[in-house]
Amino acid sequence: MSEPLSKIPNGLRYYSGHEARLRRVIEETAMSVFEGWSYEEVITPTLDYYSLFERGMGPSEAHHAFRFTDTDGRLLALRPDVTSGIARVTATLFANRPRPLRLCYAAPVFRQQGQSTIEWRRESTQIGCELVGQNSAASDIEVLAIACEVLRRLHLDRGYVITLNDVEVFNGVAESLGFDSGARDQLRQLEDGRNVADVEAFLTSRASVEDVRAISQLIRLSGKLETLDSARGLIKNARSSAALDRLENLWRIIESLALTDHFEIDLGDVSRLDYYTGLTFKIYIEGAGARVGSGGRYDNLTANFGKSEPAVGFVLDLDALAGLLLAGNNGAMLTAQPERKAQCVVDNDLSALFREAIERRARGERVVIGSGEVTP
Amino acid sequence: MTQLTIAIAKGRLQAGTLELLANSGLCDTRDALSSRRLAIEDESGRFRFIFVKPMDVPVYVEHGIADCGVVGRDVLMESDADLLQPLTLGIGRCRIVVAAPAGMPGRGSGMLRVATKYPHIAAAYFGAHGQPVEVIELSGSVELAPLLGLADCIVDLVETGRTLHDNGLSIIEVIAESSGRLVVNRASYQLKPKAVGALIAALEAATREGDLQSD
Repeated sequence: MSEPLSKIPNGLRYYSGHEARLRRVIEETAMSVFEGWSYEEVITPTLDYYSLFERGMGPSEAHHAFRFTDTDGRLLALRPDVTSGIARVTATLFANRPRPLRLCYAAPVFRQQGQSTIEWRRESTQIGCELVGQNSAASDIEVLAIACEVLRRLHLDRGYVITLNDVEVFNGVAESLGFDSGARDQLRQLEDGRNVADVEAFLTSRASVEDVRAISQLIRLSGKLETLDSARGLIKNARSSAALDRLENLWRIIESLALTDHFEIDLGDVSRLDYYTGLTFKIYIEGAGARVGSGGRYDNLTANFGKSEPAVGFVLDLDALAGLLLAGNNGAMLTAQPERKAQCVVDNDLSALFREAIERRARGERVVIGSGEVTP
Repeated sequence: MTQLTIAIAKGRLQAGTLELLANSGLCDTRDALSSRRLAIEDESGRFRFIFVKPMDVPVYVEHGIADCGVVGRDVLMESDADLLQPLTLGIGRCRIVVAAPAGMPGRGSGMLRVATKYPHIAAAYFGAHGQPVEVIELSGSVELAPLLGLADCIVDLVETGRTLHDNGLSIIEVIAESSGRLVVNRASYQLKPKAVGALIAALEAATREGDLQSD
């Protein structure tokens, strides 16, 4: 039996009309903000060697990629992320450029399966920026400020929260317990689910009573500045304490920018520790059931490409942003411009018709070529 | 005022969940106990309860349609949903087990046919032990499968063990202990921290009280 022509593969779709316009406006809005902060656009290849993504994302994330063989037999992948390609270009093509590098992108990425059970899309668009070659509080704040501006320009600034954590808080705890990488990752997974009972059961045979109590409290610690003070009462190791100090410095500046309403410290957020090396953040917006963006510091990433240097950045999920804007009425505000009325040009003499149409276009009017009698 | 939508698994856990909510002092659940409506708002307007099939609780919560949910650990293990699980509630305690008729060859004796309502749990468990299995997914009366020769053993939820016993099956291995859990949507946890925090604290206190009484 032949399949209907209308059938398209799972997880893919068409966009048209208002929705397609909205997506373009979101992309342009974000890119213009990046441009305003002097970020340079980089367009990475859609197809690249699979090994690039294994290096950049780690094998467990990379294996979600669609894979093919090249004509020489090497394994290719449809890019499952953009950051890997950016990391490679900073270490190779841009190796001799003066630092810091400020790079940005907006591009579709592809995965064989969504990252979670609710993510049905297999093609989605990532918008992001990376600040490479500068390890300072200033660069962390820079990317957070950029994220806030993008959301503000998209009129999404009423109900968003950016949660902050530093992976070194957890790493310090795991190190002080003498955990190997296996135990560390098990603890991380349990913490990520925030189940106190699970964490306690796991730790009972592996840590002292005080440590168990401290960690099970730590995973629920979230809030404003006072969160850090509570954490200091629970964990004393030097590595974690240094991370808490970094978070406090960051928070003080956020405070001085009057942005604390939009920020929370969440010491229980421990997803993807293999990737991040310092600050991590996640962006949530009222009305979206999942996060719309995330980012952080990943100083080890470029080392995988032979040139170790600090890097910080974030990525926004265009599909989630478009979904929010479509559901609210903010979307109409953003796309109001292209919906201006079209002037219908009709003439039986095709030369006259197109002369007029071209003149009107030169004046910047929107035209539609009529079919003769019908006026739409 | 922030309203929280709570998805409650119908069936085994339903009464226990509503009792726990009432004991927590957060809300009056008498209406919910007596009504057959599938969505109910409590009098204070702080909570909306929706009653759905257990397997659908993770779906509603992961999408953020419900902020929180109460569902058994067995369902969470099967669903693979990305949720926060801040509390174990101690209601509806049971075990997920491998059960078989007496004399059934155990693991390590070649291919096993496993009948279950929990294909992911079964595949993950036997996979982790290197045991090759053919998983046969059924939607109920799983105990029949070994009796009729459809499978060598079953993976199922056991509360008292009575059904197993009556059908000539006994527990061979315990895969996991399960009881009701509070699950929370990741975005709701960040966007409604006060309301979610209050719910967790109140349920935690009510759970502890319940544990003390039953001990």
